[in-house]
Amino acid sequence: MNRRRFLLTGAALAAVNGIALSNVRAATSSAKARIVIAGAGAAGLALASRLRRQMPQAAITVIDQKTAHHFQPGFTLVGAGLWSPDDVTFRNADFMPSGADWITEAVAEFDPDSNTVATSSGRRVPYDFLFVATGLALDYERIEGMDRSLIGTNGIASIYANPPAAAASFRAIDAFVDQGGVGLFGRPTTEMKCAGAPLKVTFITDDLARRKGRRSAVKLVYNAHNPTVFSVPPVHDRVTQMFAARDIAVNFSHVLKAIDPGAKRATYETPEGVVTFDYDFIHVVPPMRAPDAVMNSPLPWQHGPLATDGWVEAEKATLRHPRYANVFAVGDIAGVPRGKTAASVKWQVPVVVDNLVAETSGKEPLATYNGYTSCPMVTAYGKAMLIEFDYNGNLTPSFPFISPLDELWVSWLIEEKGLKGAYRAMLRGLA
Amino acid sequence: MEDFNPVTMFAILRESLGPWLWGLLLIALVLVVGVVSAAMKLRSARRSPKHPIIAAALAGGVATAIFFMLVPGWTMATHAALNGPVDYLAAILIAFIPGGGIAAMVFSMASWRCARRTTAVCDKSMA
Ligand SMILES: Cc1cc2nc3c(=O)[nH]c(=O)nc-3n(C[C@H](O)[C@H](O)[C@H](O)COP(=O)(O)OP(=O)(O)OC[C@H]3O[C@@H](n4cnc5c(N)ncnc54)[C@H](O)[C@@H]3O)c2cc1C
Repeated sequence: MNRRRFLLTGAALAAVNGIALSNVRAATSSAKARIVIAGAGAAGLALASRLRRQMPQAAITVIDQKTAHHFQPGFTLVGAGLWSPDDVTFRNADFMPSGADWITEAVAEFDPDSNTVATSSGRRVPYDFLFVATGLALDYERIEGMDRSLIGTNGIASIYANPPAAAASFRAIDAFVDQGGVGLFGRPTTEMKCAGAPLKVTFITDDLARRKGRRSAVKLVYNAHNPTVFSVPPVHDRVTQMFAARDIAVNFSHVLKAIDPGAKRATYETPEGVVTFDYDFIHVVPPMRAPDAVMNSPLPWQHGPLATDGWVEAEKATLRHPRYANVFAVGDIAGVPRGKTAASVKWQVPVVVDNLVAETSGKEPLATYNGYTSCPMVTAYGKAMLIEFDYNGNLTPSFPFISPLDELWVSWLIEEKGLKGAYRAMLRGLA
Repeated sequence: MEDFNPVTMFAILRESLGPWLWGLLLIALVLVVGVVSAAMKLRSARRSPKHPIIAAALAGGVATAIFFMLVPGWTMATHAALNGPVDYLAAILIAFIPGGGIAAMVFSMASWRCARRTTAVCDKSMA
């Protein structure tokens, strides 16, 4: 920790305020800190880009074995049959800021007591500051009988797994609409990224069936994991009302426990016991948890609701680890009540970077994250609701002229035309 | 909203449009230069801009109307998706971008034509 204290005080003298113009006007620090970023997804790359600019003398190491980058918010449009997998696949190398060192391995072990991480080849990388941005693991295996190779077969869809799975999911949706029958939708009880996506898939299936004149041939059932379809009350009310108007049945407190792909039968846990439904189509959203390396480290919450699945302990306003002050958790892995969207990353990254810059410049870190979470809720082909909210469940619309609970084309326009550019700009630290 | 400053907006546009952005900016520049030089030409020839403006407004209006019909399709939606005043306003504003470009082009061409020679459509009211 001595080196860290040295950095904090020494760099204070050299703190400078940066170049003009908004984002780029952000304060800078000349601390020569060793910064490790675990994960090169939405959060990891955005962090690397901003840190490179705001801490130009820091040694930044990004560790991630994945070389392809997936624009996951676009998986919904792949699953709707509108985009192709290529539309959501970039290369991490194109966004890695120059001067950052990228180790193309996974972090196998986090050792915050000795301020090091170990990579999958056994290489130990020391740090002064660690950013955990590993995203989360999709735990399909926790559903008995399910594994991701089943996606696209036997009426099973899941847009979450990867772009080809999202494309296979559209083919499954399309075939189901053509053949008719019972379609099941739902979500897991765990924390999850983009909690709106299971609802979007339900709406898309309904709309596709209407467009094909097949709505009367399909029965759609949404199995909510608890007594609500969405955790923000006004959104719950609105979606429930829309489901009723579109003849989409809802079962509350039904959690998918097992599927039998051959027999096309799904088993749910409910407060009244286990129930089984036959289906012709099912959209499976897997339980989600921390990746193994995080789960097996001292970083996760030790008790409370976020401990079970290994989410990294973090103060919700600063995303700083309360037990390891030089560790921050950003993006999906952060053990905070909301914020598992790319839009959240956009607000989280400037907070942690500005605070680190302030701290290494001897100033008080004052930036806070309010839990901003957003998910344009696609409600039909061409329509969406631009839903944004904070930790307290307050709706926090960015545009005063776009009502969050109205189905609008302009919200769809943002989803279909705006988000990808904004996401890519975020990866470069410019949005 | 306060986060949508010009730098951020430009970065988002650049990422959304890729190399097309430079092509579009070039076209915009050519149109601006065209409009300004045509207006100067008219002025030095002492001709009224009335007819070029009318021609530009007509062409721009028709083009905006046509593009308004096409805009939802550009987002993989149909016109039935337009669901409120804000949708119509957004679609019109987007359609106005190519519509405005066509208006600028027509204004430049009509002005040069008027400035160069006396035609039935170009009066000499400024003379
Ligand atoms: C179907 C779907 C729809 C969505 N819709 C939206 C939406 O409309 N709007 C929105 O804002 N968000 C949406 N999201 C959520 C958004 O994509 C995520 O919240 C966002 O990508 C989180 O960023 P992240 O960096 O935390 O994780 P990721 O982007 O998943 O990146 C994590 C990275 O960490 C790496 N990694 C994992 N383990 C290790 C390890 N041990 N060592 C090193 N690296 C590791 C991975 O390889 C990966 O590159 C959606 C997601 C899905 C799946």
